[in-house]
Amino acid sequence: MRRARTFLPEFAVLLTLIIAPTVLNPLGFSTDLLTRVLNWGLIGLGFDILFGLSGLLSFGQAAFYGVGGFVTAYLLVSGTIGSVWLALLIGTLAAGLFGLVVGWFAVRRVGIYFTMITLAFGQMAYFIENSLLTTYTGGENGIAGVPVPVLGFGDHAIRVTAGLPMYVLFAVIFFVGYVLARRIVRSPVGAILIAIKQNTGRVAMLGHNVPAYKLTAFVVAAVYAGLAGGLLGSFQSYMPPDAFSIETSGQLVVQTIVGGAGTLIGPLVGATVWLWLRDNLQLIPGFAVLWKLVLGIAFIVLVIGLRRGICGEIAHWWSDRRHQAERRADEARTEAIEAHNIDAADAAAARRRDIRLPLAQPATADGDVALEAQSLARYYGGLKAVDGVSFNVRRGSIHAVIGPNGAGKSTLFKMLLDEVRPTSGEVLLFGERISGAGVSRAAQLGIAKSNQLNQLFLDLSVRKNLRIAALARSRGPLRLDLLRPADSIPDVEAQIDSILSLLDLVERAETPAHVLAYGEKRRLEIGMALATSPNVLLLDEPLAGMSPAERAATCAFIRDIARVCTVVIVEHDLDAIFGLAERITVLYEGRLLADGSADEVRRNQAVQDAYLGGLHAHEPA
Amino acid sequence: MSLLEVDRINTLYGDSHVLFDLSIRVEQGEVVALLGRNGAGKTTTLRSIMGVLAPASGAIRLDGKPIGGLPPSVIAGLGVQLVPEERAIFGTLTVEENLRIAALTAPKAWPLERIYQVFPRLKERRKSAGRSLSGGEQQMLAIARALIRDARIILLDEPFEGLAPLIVRDLVTVARDLAAEGRTMIVVEQNVAAALSFANRVYGLNNGHVVFEGTPADLEANPDLARDFLGVAS
Amino acid sequence: MPSWPVLASQAFNGLALGTLLALVSSGLTIILGTLGVLNFAHGALFAVGAYTIFVALHYTSSFVLAILIGCVVMLAVGVLLERIIIRFFYDRPDEDQILVTYGIGIVLVECLRASFGGNAQRVPVPSWGQGATKLGFLIYPTYRLQLIAIVAGLLIGLYLVLYRTSMGLVVRAGIENPGMVGILGINVRRAFLLVFAIGVVAVGLAGMLYAPVIAVSPDMGANFMAQSFVVIVLGGLGSFPGAIVGGLIAGEIISLTSAFNSSYSEVMLYALMALLLVLRPQGLFGTEGRA
Repeated sequence: MRRARTFLPEFAVLLTLIIAPTVLNPLGFSTDLLTRVLNWGLIGLGFDILFGLSGLLSFGQAAFYGVGGFVTAYLLVSGTIGSVWLALLIGTLAAGLFGLVVGWFAVRRVGIYFTMITLAFGQMAYFIENSLLTTYTGGENGIAGVPVPVLGFGDHAIRVTAGLPMYVLFAVIFFVGYVLARRIVRSPVGAILIAIKQNTGRVAMLGHNVPAYKLTAFVVAAVYAGLAGGLLGSFQSYMPPDAFSIETSGQLVVQTIVGGAGTLIGPLVGATVWLWLRDNLQLIPGFAVLWKLVLGIAFIVLVIGLRRGICGEIAHWWSDRRHQAERRADEARTEAIEAHNIDAADAAAARRRDIRLPLAQPATADGDVALEAQSLARYYGGLKAVDGVSFNVRRGSIHAVIGPNGAGKSTLFKMLLDEVRPTSGEVLLFGERISGAGVSRAAQLGIAKSNQLNQLFLDLSVRKNLRIAALARSRGPLRLDLLRPADSIPDVEAQIDSILSLLDLVERAETPAHVLAYGEKRRLEIGMALATSPNVLLLDEPLAGMSPAERAATCAFIRDIARVCTVVIVEHDLDAIFGLAERITVLYEGRLLADGSADEVRRNQAVQDAYLGGLHAHEPA
Repeated sequence: MSLLEVDRINTLYGDSHVLFDLSIRVEQGEVVALLGRNGAGKTTTLRSIMGVLAPASGAIRLDGKPIGGLPPSVIAGLGVQLVPEERAIFGTLTVEENLRIAALTAPKAWPLERIYQVFPRLKERRKSAGRSLSGGEQQMLAIARALIRDARIILLDEPFEGLAPLIVRDLVTVARDLAAEGRTMIVVEQNVAAALSFANRVYGLNNGHVVFEGTPADLEANPDLARDFLGVAS
Repeated sequence: MPSWPVLASQAFNGLALGTLLALVSSGLTIILGTLGVLNFAHGALFAVGAYTIFVALHYTSSFVLAILIGCVVMLAVGVLLERIIIRFFYDRPDEDQILVTYGIGIVLVECLRASFGGNAQRVPVPSWGQGATKLGFLIYPTYRLQLIAIVAGLLIGLYLVLYRTSMGLVVRAGIENPGMVGILGINVRRAFLLVFAIGVVAVGLAGMLYAPVIAVSPDMGANFMAQSFVVIVLGGLGSFPGAIVGGLIAGEIISLTSAFNSSYSEVMLYALMALLLVLRPQGLFGTEGRA
């Protein structure tokens, strides 16, 4: 039963594809119109993985649609290749290859930049087709006489002619494309792409190779677009040059928003609306030129008000109804925790926990020194935030970094995992150089950080948050397991379960992170860093914003963690630090003021002065 | 009636609750220091007064009139002026342009010359881009932008942070002169000695609560108390 | 190798295109820099400008008067768009801003199509710009020469507004740190309205001035918008000097390349952008600012 429910969308799509020609015909959908809708829907499957799933808004998809179309059409019409299937395959691969090149440039930038670059490359492809390669593409004339595919050999061969046979071909291809896209969405890669959309920085910090995953989504989108482009030529036995135009890219974006991004079938539904409006409003006298205006206004209204689009709103309403009771219970629990300021963690604080992390830590050289900072410096213009700081962190210890505001603690901390690149000096993790490698490489080498301000994937459940972290350890920086389910790796699931019980969040596993109480969010923040099975765990102000009871519980928790990995901690609560840390490094104005055992530092006069600003030295006001 | 009253405000920063029923008041002509460890809520208090962060509950009154929830531009128009911790100098604008933009909406703006009398260094550098200034010069300019507006209350957030001792000394002199002229100020500072050298009254903050209220002399008489909310345990 | 007169005349074409792109892009870049909104309706507004002068010339025979009317219309369009739609999007994600401005672009273009049809219209060259002017060995259309001078004048004017007036002061400060501008007592949102309106008038003026040189059609702005994206990527997002220099570089590249082989002209521009993205991703005048 559970399995049947899992595949419900696939069944629904299949059924719709089967009955559509009969049911929709009276509503003004000719078979050819439906085939065209499927063509748009096919590009849309890839585009939704890029935009809906990964949050990358491309305005250049026409380039890949066009490359797929023109490569296929040219190969067939020039007689280079006789088989439509082979030509389609080559056209699709060509589009994927072009996507790899364009994506390599585009994924280096984010947000507005990404959109502008994709649009610009789309225009470049248009001009290449329309002026540079007119000998092959026919320029403004396009390529006429593209043959239809043939099934079978010799006398038994069936030509897939226009009308219903062509619809069936498109429906089969769309369905296979849909099933594959669904699997990609549910794969570890899909899970990571969703996380990238929510908080790119954190995904990198956990050890995933973010640009490579973005590039993967980009190429997948290009492949879908290329296949759709190749089919277009066969469908209308003519490859039109406007496949490359900027309007094609724009139309795809509008259809996706209207239908609902992030639903995979949204673009298909959007295309249905668009093409139906175009074909039917044109029949109404006086409306012939207005159909796109109507659509444009509807589009603006959708963006302003119903941002989820048609399918998105339906899916949202459906899941709201199904999960309403659970959601209410989750929220009630959060309120209870916040109102009474009590938490399961308080009760659990007393018992010593046996920490077992199923995922192995990365191999490191044997050595007594876990982390070594060698004359680290970071300048911002003339400002010396950190100026030549060296210290060692012993393996298995709790090491604290303290200092008054502006002492350079956060900059120093960020350099320890290469979030900020040192101006000079370097950081070694068990003798291996971290500096210059980038934050995701540092994570793979075994250094993790929990942040001062929570960086959670707020819309994902607690379990999924932890999964993103654990996947980074088990799969390495990049693996393209596009077709296996994300929750099918036993070690990863065991790791999540173990961390959940450690965090006392077992009952909250399916709760979206944004619903959690503040203290729970802080624990999840630390838990995500821990789920990467680090050798060295950096904690940036783990006690910030906590009540005294929560502080005590968190301190006990940190002591537990310290039994499985080395802990480096920045914290303002000095009482807590002196209770926790074995060694303390004190920074003052970007320089090392003191470095020693807790007792040595406590007795250090320079440290006292730095903190109290020489309270007794001041002149009377 | 106090010039400024902060009445049991609660302020959240992102998803964390920073200020809990926090109340302070400032009289005309008074210099009030807010002291406390990092994360105690000092900066958040100043940002709440300026309207950069809107308190979730409670009231802020200027001359008895509520100003909580108003946008910063309106609150600035009423004579409250924040000098933020990060100084927020416009780096692509020259020193003089930074001063001119500050004076733009002030009804009784000082003439530039008067600013240059207070900070002769700024006159020397008036044609330089903001980003080319040293830390000390940037802080002078940040304070000067509040002065040129002839603000009734200046909120100084960590004015001495990251500055060399010599420059701190100069700035403290300026701050004392301003206090002596009767300019109302709230100062947040880690450098307790520097802050207390020109403050009339002190609030100690811890975890978003006021834990101490008194004069600098009270604080000095009670070093244990100061340690409680300031830092080093001994 | 093309002859010198051909190269020289292409260099002038490049200057004409370059100044125009600079004007279009500076409108785009100050809106982006100050408001943080990438205006995808910019191309449509270019077309609206061109149609405005097309209509205005039906009522007056004076080209200058028609331009002035056009400016008033563009100002009104800018103010209305900002008040009715854009201002509700300052706090929304980048992609929503892009989508809604793209939607505005569709609506504007379709309004033009509904009112004037999809066919290209012609706007006559003004009486004072007829004929050709002899420049040494080169004979060059008079209006295009005047166009270079006029647009250069407009850019200087825009420069003066940005660098010599209090409003420009607010705009430049707003590009860096809109929050601090508010703390200094200035109503940032009102400044945003002005900036948006100025950006719209700038691109509208580009459309009006260029209307006599190219065919006026509803979709005429799309390619200019794509090129102005390249220009501000070249120059650095939000940088006014970047938009000017980037515009001139783009214009010259397109025109000079087409002196050698016209089918490479546009492609060259995008290739240059790709190169710059690798070598200097923040653009020529880019800083670590708001973008």
